[in-house]
Order: sequence, then structure tokens, then C-alpha cells
Amino acid sequence: MSDTPSHGPVKSIMPKWVRGPQDFFGGIALMAIAAFALWASSDLQGMHGFSFGAGTAPRMFAGLLLGLGFAIAIVGLVTEGPELATYAWRGPLFISLSILSFAITVRPLGLVISAFASFMISSFGAVDIRWKETIIVGICLTIGCSLLFPYALGLPLQLFPRFLVQ
Amino acid sequence: MFELFSNLALGFGVALTPINLLLCLIGALVGTLVGVLPGIGTIATVAMLLPITFGLPPVGALIMLAGIYYGAQYGGSTTSILVNIPGEASSVVTTLDGFQMAKQGRAGPALAIAAIGSFFAGCVATVLIAVLGAPLTKLALAFGPAEYFSLMVLGLIFAVVLAKGSILKAIAMIVFGLLLSMVGSDIETGASRMAFNIPELADGLGFATVAMGVFGFAEIIRNLDVGAEMDRELVQEKVTGLMPTRKDLIDSAPAIVRGTILGSILGILPGGGAVIASFAAYTFEKKIAKDPSRFGRGAIEGVAAPESANNAAAQTSFIPLLTLGIPPNAVMALMVGAMTIHGIVPGPQVMQKQPELVWGMIASMWIGNLMLLVINLPLVGIWVRLLRVPYRLLFPSIVIFCAIGIYSLNNAPVDVVLAGAFGLLGYWLIKHDFEPAPLLLGMVLGPLMEENLRRALLISRGDVTVFVTRPLSGALLAVAAFLLVLAVLPSLRKKRDEVFVESET
Repeated sequence: MSDTPSHGPVKSIMPKWVRGPQDFFGGIALMAIAAFALWASSDLQGMHGFSFGAGTAPRMFAGLLLGLGFAIAIVGLVTEGPELATYAWRGPLFISLSILSFAITVRPLGLVISAFASFMISSFGAVDIRWKETIIVGICLTIGCSLLFPYALGLPLQLFPRFLVQ
Repeated sequence: MFELFSNLALGFGVALTPINLLLCLIGALVGTLVGVLPGIGTIATVAMLLPITFGLPPVGALIMLAGIYYGAQYGGSTTSILVNIPGEASSVVTTLDGFQMAKQGRAGPALAIAAIGSFFAGCVATVLIAVLGAPLTKLALAFGPAEYFSLMVLGLIFAVVLAKGSILKAIAMIVFGLLLSMVGSDIETGASRMAFNIPELADGLGFATVAMGVFGFAEIIRNLDVGAEMDRELVQEKVTGLMPTRKDLIDSAPAIVRGTILGSILGILPGGGAVIASFAAYTFEKKIAKDPSRFGRGAIEGVAAPESANNAAAQTSFIPLLTLGIPPNAVMALMVGAMTIHGIVPGPQVMQKQPELVWGMIASMWIGNLMLLVINLPLVGIWVRLLRVPYRLLFPSIVIFCAIGIYSLNNAPVDVVLAGAFGLLGYWLIKHDFEPAPLLLGMVLGPLMEENLRRALLISRGDVTVFVTRPLSGALLAVAAFLLVLAVLPSLRKKRDEVFVESET
């Protein structure tokens, strides 16, 4: 369930009959999630006798969510509500990239490189980035983290790339 | 009564050891720091700092985490008063009158009253935990699976009723959370559920991972698109004259008492918590005031009541966790995580089997509050300077800290990616006006609810009516139903919306 539901059309012209697009598409997305969960749990055992199987509770909750999503969508259809909010691309993009890069590099390259790289990538998320300042803070933070986590806290984190250590 | 004193004595014996005092101080300071910094909330911090407590002894770990939690309530109030930015959701209402007082040059008294109120509330809450702990533990023994299930339903309904915005959407978020909690292995059969053969998912979605994504990353992404530079209208005059006048004290004393009572009650109830307590206390003060128009223009009661309430609630929310083993809010759920890491199962047994743990933590709360009272006021200058750190430098640091924190929980890069995905999900939820807090509560209570539901039905041989026919369970469900009906009644709903609208503008 880690996938993020689609962001929906942002600037497309809403059909006139959708009076509260925010709720309408929110409800639809919840229904999609619920349907996905129903499908994902369909291979699990259901009730046997009066005792629950592994799949009973997931299907119960998924069914409930399907109903609630439907209700929210209906509410969005018939009552006046806010328009879809606009999504910025810069923040989400660079924060996601930074997190991804950290996850990919932390094992093979060690904390020092991956933390600094992620710091730099994520700082692109702001419009008012200033190079010098960002690099200095990034270096300080990397040093701080390299001292704090493995040494002060004793967590088993590798600091430097594997091929250098060996 | 004698037992109470011996328990507290035991607790102070544990809490006053140098190492625990130090951990308490560190926790309180880190909490204050986090409370001061906007853009990173208590939930994300506790999640982020969980790995830090791995190497500590269990008592020390819990003392420190508790310190972070109530320290954040303090720190939040400081920025609310001085800069008009609530560092924490629970101090949003404090900005209304606190900042006005600061503008009139009365920042000192406002800060002092907030600190005194919080301290008083902390004292009362500590005593309350000590007094209620033992009897509630006995009550817990009368609880069967059906009662547990009904109590959790009541807790979730509370969360729905007290959430702002659409009730339907809040319920949907809870169910979504319940659904997310189903990922992983089935408790009874061990069958893998919705895990798609990803080994990291076999144990279920980590609660800390989801919390960090939805509250940490999502918050940052949202702050970024609001426009990087937030309005930071700092009160330029130096904070002079901390001491409140005699009139201030007389005015605020009853408000502090009322806030404390209200906060304590809302904290104990599952689904409640510090945020709701402060909203409720402010509204209540305004309702009973002789001249309500003073509020929003620097009325000292408007600072005293919510600050006392949120601190009281922050502490009494430990009661259901320690006695019944039910986490009433997301922060408490993370405490459960911390306890499980150390092999402690929260619930009635803890009080009997590991009294030094429970009472040590309770005693440390009182000590921590005293520390905060002493250190918070002199440190105001430092906290204010921290606020001058521009967000463009702050947020990448938070991202890195969160990433390292999640990674070190299980040494699993997949967890970091999952947290990122939940960050995007959280951003989407915010954009569609879905509240993430009920989602987290649902996720916390999901496994417990399923387990008790299954057990109850097994014991009753499939008879669903057991939930209504057992008196205690029936009563709990009746209260839940009553609350839900009240909440959807149009007249009350209007009032409820009003409260939130008023408090947010």
C-alpha cells in the first residue's frame, strides 16, 4: 500500500456536475485504494465457522473504506465544495529524490556521502537556494551526523564507502 | 493511600539517579527545541529519536521520550507568544492572546504565566496518574476482549468527533489507518497479508515509518509550497520584566485551574490529547468570561488556560497506556514502540511487574516540569535566535535527520523509501483536506482491535451480540453511539465548526 494515489487532474476543466471536486476525487481515490486492498487480500482465507480467517479483517476494513469513499464522492458530487488544490512540483520532486538517493546510497557508499548528497538534493526544493551557505551547512551537518549516530549513539552505521573500507 | 506514597517514593528514587536526571534534562531540552522550531512536530520528533533510545536502559529511554513530549508543549508556547508562529499544533490558540500581549510589551508575563500554568498542570497530572494508576489497573482486569474492543471503538469515535472538518472524512481516515495496519503477517495463522512478498513488509508497516512520512516529510513538502519564507514578525523589543503582576496572577489562577481540569479529562480519554485540550480550554474560557471581547486582544486567561490544558493532557494521556495498554494518541503509540523494543508490553502487568519503570517515569515527569520552569525562561533568548535560521537550511537538515532515523530503526533502506511514499500520500491527504491524525490512530489501534474482536467472537462462539449484552462493553458502545449522534446533529455541528474557525483565524 505504499503507492501514492494519482494526483488527479489539476487544471483540467471540471465537469459542471461535480460541485465539490476536492471531496469527489478524494472519495474516488479512497475507493481505488479500497478496491486495491480487496484485490490484494482476495487470496486470504475467510471465515471458517465462527472464527476469523486471515483475510476477514482486511476485507472488512477494505469494504468499509469502499463504502466511505463512495459516500465522500457522493457528498462531493452534490454539495458545493472547494476546488482541487494546486500541487507544487518542486518540493515533492526534490524531497522524494533526496529520500530515494539516501535509501539507495547509504548501504554501498556509507553515511558521509549519502547524507551530504541527500542534503544537497533536498535543498533544491526551496526557491531561494544559496550555494555557499548550503554547502557549508551541508558539510557541518554531515560531520555532526557522522559523529552523533555511530559514535555518540552507537548505531551500526557505516560511514565510508564499502570499497574504501575493505 | 500509604501505597501511593511508597510508590511515588520508589519513583523518585529511580528518577533522581544522576543518569536519569540527565536523560530527563536532555529530553526536556530537545523537546523544547523541537517545540520552538516550526515545521517539525512532536510525532515526527519522537519517531526520529526512537533509535537514540536503543542503547539506553528502558527506564532512561522512556524518561527521555516523555521529556521530549512535554518539553515540546513548552517550546510551542514560546514561539506562539513571541513570533506568532505556533511551534506545535497544541499551541495554535496561544498565539491569539499571547502574541497580542507580546505586542503590548508584555511578552515576559505571558511567557511566565504559560510556564507557571504548565508547571501547575504538570504537577496535578503527575498526582492524577499516581492516584488513578492503581485503581484503573484493577479495572483493566475486569476487561475482557469485548470490552477492549468497545473501548477502542469509543476512542476512535472520540477522535472523529473532536477532529475538525467533515466527520465522514475523519471516519474514512480511521478506516484507512485500520486497513494499513492489516499489512503484514496475520497474528493467528501467520499468513502474509498484502505484503506482496516484500520481506520488509512481512512484519507490517512500521508505525514510526508511516508517522515520519505523514507528519515529517509531508509537512516539509507542504511548507515548501506555501512559499519558503514564512512571515516571521519577531517582537523586536527585548523581553524585559518576566514577572507577572499581582493582577495577572489573580486573573490567571482560576483559568489555570480550569484549564488543568479540562486538559486532564481530555487527556485520559482515548482519542483526545493535547491539541484538542488547548482548543477546548480556550473556547471554554471565552464562553464563561464576563467580557469575551477581551479575548484576542491580549487577555492573560487566553494564554493561561490553553497552556495548562495542553500540558495536563500531554501527561494524563499516559494513563490509558500504562493501565490498559491502549495508546490514546499517536505519540503514545510511539511510546509503545519504544517499550516493545525494550521487551516491555504496556498494560496492567507493567504496573505490577515493573513498578520502578512506571513510577520512575511518573516521578521524572514532575522533575522534568520543574526543570523546564527553571531553564525555559532564561533560555528564551536562545530559542528566539534559533527562529532566525532560514527555512531553506532547516528543512534539508530535517529531511536528513528523518532519513537517518528511519534507516537506523531496522537498517532497512526500504523503510526510508516507504516513509518517502507516505510523505507524498500525506501531502495528497492535506491537499484533499483529509486529516492524517485519525489515520495514525486507526493504524495504532488496528491490530489490537482485530485481535480482541477475534477473541471476543471466538469466546462467544460467533455471537455478535456479545458486544451489547456484556454490560461494560454495552455501556461503552452506547456512549460512542451517543457521541456520534451528537456530532452529526446539525445544531451542535455548527457550534463545533465555529470553535475551530474561531481558533484558527
